[in-house]
Amino acid sequence: MSEAILDVKNLTVAYEGGGRSSRALNDISFRIERGKVLGIVGESGSGKSTAAMAVLGLLPGGAKPSGQVLFKGQDIYAKSPEERRALRGREISIVFQDPFTSLNPSIQVGRQIAEPLILHKGMEEKAALQEAENLLREVGITDPARTAKAYPHQLSGGMKQRALIATALACDPELMILDEPTTALDVTIEAQILDLLEALRVKRNLSMMFISHNLGVIARLADEVCVLYAGDVVEYGPKETVLGPGHRHPYTKGLLASLPKLTDRRDRLFPIPGRLPDLSQTIPGCIFEARCPFACKGCGQPQPLQAVGADHVSRCWRSLELADVPWRADDAEGGVAAHSTREHQPGGEMLLEARDVVKRFTVVSGLPALKFDASGGGFPLRYEPVSLRAVDRVTLSIRQGETVGLVGESGCGKSTFGRCLIRLIEPQGGEVLLRGEDILSASPGRHRALMQEAQIIFQNPDSSLNPRKTVREILARPIRLFGIAEGAEVDRKVDELLDMVRLSPRYASRYPHQMSGGEKQRVGIARALASKPKFIVCDEAVSALDVSVQASILNLLADLRDELNVAYLFISHDLSVISHIADRICVMYRGGIVELGPTERILQPPYHPYTEALLSAVPFIEKGARQRERIRLAGSVTGSTEQIVGCRFQDRCPRKLGGICETVTPPARSSAEGHEILCHIPLEELSGYESVLEPLERRA
Amino acid sequence: MALPSMASAPRRRPLPASLVWGAGIFAFVLFIAVAGPFLAPFDYDQMNILKRMQAPSAVHWFGTDEFGRDVFSRVLYGARLSIAMGIGATMISLAIGVPLGLIAGYYRGWPEEAIMRGVDVLISIPPIMLGLLILAVTTPSVWKSALAVGVIYVPIMVRLTRSVCLEVMGEEFVEAAKARGERGWYILFSEILPNAWPPIIVETALRVTFAIMLGAALSFLGLGVQPPASDWGLMIAEARPFIHQAPWIAVAPGIALVITVIAINLLGDGLREILDPRMKRDRL
Repeated sequence: MSEAILDVKNLTVAYEGGGRSSRALNDISFRIERGKVLGIVGESGSGKSTAAMAVLGLLPGGAKPSGQVLFKGQDIYAKSPEERRALRGREISIVFQDPFTSLNPSIQVGRQIAEPLILHKGMEEKAALQEAENLLREVGITDPARTAKAYPHQLSGGMKQRALIATALACDPELMILDEPTTALDVTIEAQILDLLEALRVKRNLSMMFISHNLGVIARLADEVCVLYAGDVVEYGPKETVLGPGHRHPYTKGLLASLPKLTDRRDRLFPIPGRLPDLSQTIPGCIFEARCPFACKGCGQPQPLQAVGADHVSRCWRSLELADVPWRADDAEGGVAAHSTREHQPGGEMLLEARDVVKRFTVVSGLPALKFDASGGGFPLRYEPVSLRAVDRVTLSIRQGETVGLVGESGCGKSTFGRCLIRLIEPQGGEVLLRGEDILSASPGRHRALMQEAQIIFQNPDSSLNPRKTVREILARPIRLFGIAEGAEVDRKVDELLDMVRLSPRYASRYPHQMSGGEKQRVGIARALASKPKFIVCDEAVSALDVSVQASILNLLADLRDELNVAYLFISHDLSVISHIADRICVMYRGGIVELGPTERILQPPYHPYTEALLSAVPFIEKGARQRERIRLAGSVTGSTEQIVGCRFQDRCPRKLGGICETVTPPARSSAEGHEILCHIPLEELSGYESVLEPLERRA
Repeated sequence: MALPSMASAPRRRPLPASLVWGAGIFAFVLFIAVAGPFLAPFDYDQMNILKRMQAPSAVHWFGTDEFGRDVFSRVLYGARLSIAMGIGATMISLAIGVPLGLIAGYYRGWPEEAIMRGVDVLISIPPIMLGLLILAVTTPSVWKSALAVGVIYVPIMVRLTRSVCLEVMGEEFVEAAKARGERGWYILFSEILPNAWPPIIVETALRVTFAIMLGAALSFLGLGVQPPASDWGLMIAEARPFIHQAPWIAVAPGIALVITVIAINLLGDGLREILDPRMKRDRL
């Protein structure tokens, strides 16, 4: 065994407050060797971030740590606060989740990177700024001198995260803690950042503690994986075993079964039921017992970590016995049954048709839009407001009971388009027909009636419910508004709705803050269903949720679709989620559709170069499946203010042909009925590309 | 009351201490305001030249002023006008400012421009000048000066409400209401306003204090409460020349004012805590 850079021994952290104490971390131990990456996974509330803060010595006031955190053999809690402070940033550094708030908006990026150099290394300001530019170059920023002088708001999310990594690297630390560093980023940007981290790690022999809830991301980077559950290490071992077929703990099984997979599209996912136990209570036996399908008599005993293989431990006494037992019995059949996805129903009646929808946002107006031009004839002053083409002539139709997935990077206009369809945003042009009736030109009264049929589910469960209203008030409002029921009948309807989203009626009297994220999302879904709509826009409806909660919400949405025959426009940046639920997928880039077709067509060639790049960027953990080829898109989506001539994707296309892509609008190429690719590359050539996803061999 | 059917049901929590104290003290101040004239040992305008500027004693608890009037009685009498002034003015600014702020924040476009530019004009005039302007054209009275002070504080309320409104508008539940085709007034008063209250309440509690002081300033200029009527602000203002010889004349109404202000602030804090379900710590 080589030298351990970080050795955490029996670390326990309890938060005290309001007269009770709750354990955030319970006797956890892990070690990171020089140059290795330890991945820490777990749902929110499992103690991941507390572990990071404990290692940094930055726990909040109410927290009581005990145990040892040995950094290069020395206990950091034995040091004085002053010594600990000297350690941070210099030898241990951290990159936080949200690049959008982690940089100070009023200080130039270069100065922020130079700060630790001046503070810890005592460098001259000028030399430090020079070094900052070198660091920016090292993290893959092409124009470091200009970026160093820029303010954070002038950089894209990916560039900000690179700048933060540069700050963390500044003093050449030996251990870098990454707390969900890619969670706020697009898949394509995430792939870029992961590539960068991989390269840095090799080049600098950097050790990393990588925290994420995304198993795919962990699988990309980590050597070892530590699975946390409710403050306990439940499984710990080499990546190949823990995230591969060798995993042993039921919780790990559950996490893996909750994950929607691109290569294994099945009807329903297998989420973990229930929620985290109350951490202020002492649980005598196994902490996962309440949610574990394998729980039996012996589980009431305290569970020690058991060795289940080389360097591999699991906190379950039945680890070996259950080794080959899948999470759910029906998971075992695998093979054909599990692969049968919902049959495509092209026969459904046409429900919603959007034609040439256009939405522009004015970005420059008023005085700044006045242009002075004395060169030409005529009046020298002209008023030229600039507007961003968020949605540029998009045409899409959705049949009854159909799920259309809408995917693309942030800034591609997918949310704007979704909101245009239900007129939450007023488009400037085009028409949206709901059963043949134009929503956009409807009178206010008629519009209100149409809204009953078209609803929306939002992304953020914390923001989508009014915190001042109880669930009953929230659900009763649409019922009364649309005249679905009156008087005592309303309460019965509320209970019905709660039942529909699998919540017990007692939730009716709760306020949003008394519920978990998944429960709030269910109430959000119930509110959308209250008016008995036929069409629902799901705007990133599962993106903010934990894997197991996400799985149960996806199942719920699929069930409701089948029960009520509602159609969804399912907007997401996550291709695995989209491909799991959608019948058809629509790929959007810079305000327009570049590819549209049945899901299975989208996932295999021929595909649009942009689809290919998106697929390449998805981090995988699937057994057997791998990405043959990594295509990386440079940069990020730039909004377009001009009329786009030629291909939308030509600015970043790795397969760009040349001049034709810039000047001629690409033709729609069709490989099968209902499948269209807007690209100049002939279909035969597109079909010839290697598949990004190696199809999973059918397990007979 | 029936027992909660399950452990996780919202429990009844004790009222916050700040609310209990705030309400208690404020109720006492209100009681003084109402019953003051009956409790006062002397008349508020009963002069006695022989007993000018006497220090506090068993007869005159807070001493006497430059005309030999009993300061204690004047403080008791003054509560009525001062409280009416402070609360009345604040309520006026609240009643005008909050709806305007909501409209400006919600509708944007020209209503916002019109309201906010109007507010800019109001804010550009110094408060005293504005008060003078309003009061100079009519005969002075307590209610007019309350109105003047209320109008002076309208811009602050509009700006505050608008900024809170803009913040709440970004929340998805407001979009959900729009997606249901709710009317503007429903969204404003049922979805947005309840979430905008906490900062408005805090501001209101502070405003009451400032309103009492500004009212006093107007009285001092002879435009509000007319001597010999007693008002805390006016009393402090009139006692200024004698602050060295007879500090009690200014100190007594000053203490009364401080107690009232503290009570109102505690009350505001407490209200905010019980009105905002997020601040109740009964998370499951």
